[in-house]
Amino acid sequence: MDQIAYRWYILFPNHHQGLQLNRELRKANIRNQISPTPREASSCCGISLIVEPDDLDRIGKIIEEYGISIDKIVKLPVKTDWQYRGI
Amino acid sequence: MADYRQMWTDLGMDLEKHDVLCEVLPDAFGGVFLSQQNRPAGMDFYDFVVSEIHGVRPAELIEHRQKGGKVFGTFCVYVPDEVVFAAGGIAAGLCGGSQFWVSGGEKVLPVNTCPLIKASVGARLDKTCPFFMIADMFVGETTCDGKKKAWEILSKEVPLHVIDVPQMKRDKDIAAFESEIKDFIKVVEGVTGNQVTPEKLGEAIKLINNKRRALQRLYNARKASPVPISGKDALLVTQIAFYDDPARCAQMANRLAEELEERISRGEGVFPADAPRIMISGTPMAIPNWKLHHIVETAGAAVVVEESCTGTRYFEHLVDESGQTIDEQVRALAERYMQTNCACFTPNPGRIEDIIRMADEYKVDGVIDVNLQFCNLYSTESYLVKNTLAEHNIPIMHIETDYSEQDYEQLRTRIEAFLEMVRK
Repeated sequence: MDQIAYRWYILFPNHHQGLQLNRELRKANIRNQISPTPREASSCCGISLIVEPDDLDRIGKIIEEYGISIDKIVKLPVKTDWQYRGI
Repeated sequence: MADYRQMWTDLGMDLEKHDVLCEVLPDAFGGVFLSQQNRPAGMDFYDFVVSEIHGVRPAELIEHRQKGGKVFGTFCVYVPDEVVFAAGGIAAGLCGGSQFWVSGGEKVLPVNTCPLIKASVGARLDKTCPFFMIADMFVGETTCDGKKKAWEILSKEVPLHVIDVPQMKRDKDIAAFESEIKDFIKVVEGVTGNQVTPEKLGEAIKLINNKRRALQRLYNARKASPVPISGKDALLVTQIAFYDDPARCAQMANRLAEELEERISRGEGVFPADAPRIMISGTPMAIPNWKLHHIVETAGAAVVVEESCTGTRYFEHLVDESGQTIDEQVRALAERYMQTNCACFTPNPGRIEDIIRMADEYKVDGVIDVNLQFCNLYSTESYLVKNTLAEHNIPIMHIETDYSEQDYEQLRTRIEAFLEMVRK
């Protein structure tokens, strides 16, 4: 049986917090990807960060160290059936 | 999460309809962009801009208006942004690249109008794009018949000034465009209440030139093999350049270009060195039209340059910065803008010469000449493009398409066959 792959999204109260965490993670060489927030994670638009689950502990420490506000961390299955569609 | 709903409500937007667009963006952006490997870190900024596409920049424009500033919405690379910035205004590109807006345009336009015009009109009439709701004035031009008539419809919504772009490039046409720029200065001064002085216009010329220099630097990096950035990412940079703050645009493009230059020095690329290198020429691809680039690059080829208004036509050629008087500066502006080779001109050999020159500069293996559906100018010119490139032994295919996904698989099949032909 195929394993379902997941992505972890960190959501923020505003983009300033998201960009700050993105910068700090880059400095610490922790992989992260700015992404539009998927609708499954929030009904509001805006940035989120996709991170690796193995890095969550280190990321938590950086969030605490720099006093960065986050809304929540959401785990969503990776969509493997996406096909191009005209937006 | 950032909640822009109050801002959109205040702009008079249709939130329910707009929400449909917000819903599909994350998946589409994820599928097209985030699925790529080894993207430059400098793309973080552009990913952020898309993530907040109808939030952060509109909020900046609203703040500018609250301080008494004016916003000018533009649709073409022939509009001299320098004039707007010299008067303390902000120019923001408004071209619509979304299929989502097309049906709104079709309510008032003939169906056989190009999707860019239909989307632009639909975005305003359906009230689903904040940029179209913020602009104090739209600035149109006469680069095609469809646009000329669309301006008459849009002018019922928002004050609209039309710049008459000449259709030939004789000395008297350049002089005529000079006169058009002087008229535009008067209009912009009237809307903003600010005078365009030689000092201010000189500063604005440098501001926009710096943006062009940064984009030129970025594109120069694409000449390397292996190519250090995907065509999709480079296209996104140019698409965002149309409405971002020009100084920030230059800063971010320079930062990205620096990273790409480091990649080049390490021989690092995002495609194998033997991947086919493709030029896309023709009509503009306004955000979020990423269709053709996605097909080409998921078929294993790299788009290394766009000969289009959302490519080299946007930033090639600088305005002479030595002018000391308004007359000298306007002459320099007219001379620079009239070097741009759009299919609206007759004859237009400069565009084909550009394609041949860039095919060499970017080490192109093949050219995909594309025009948006119903764009008669580029469609007709494709005959001359095809014949001349064939004489130079440059493989070329012509495509006519729109924003929808209906022809996606047909295009994929045709492009894969073309790539098979040019593959080394």
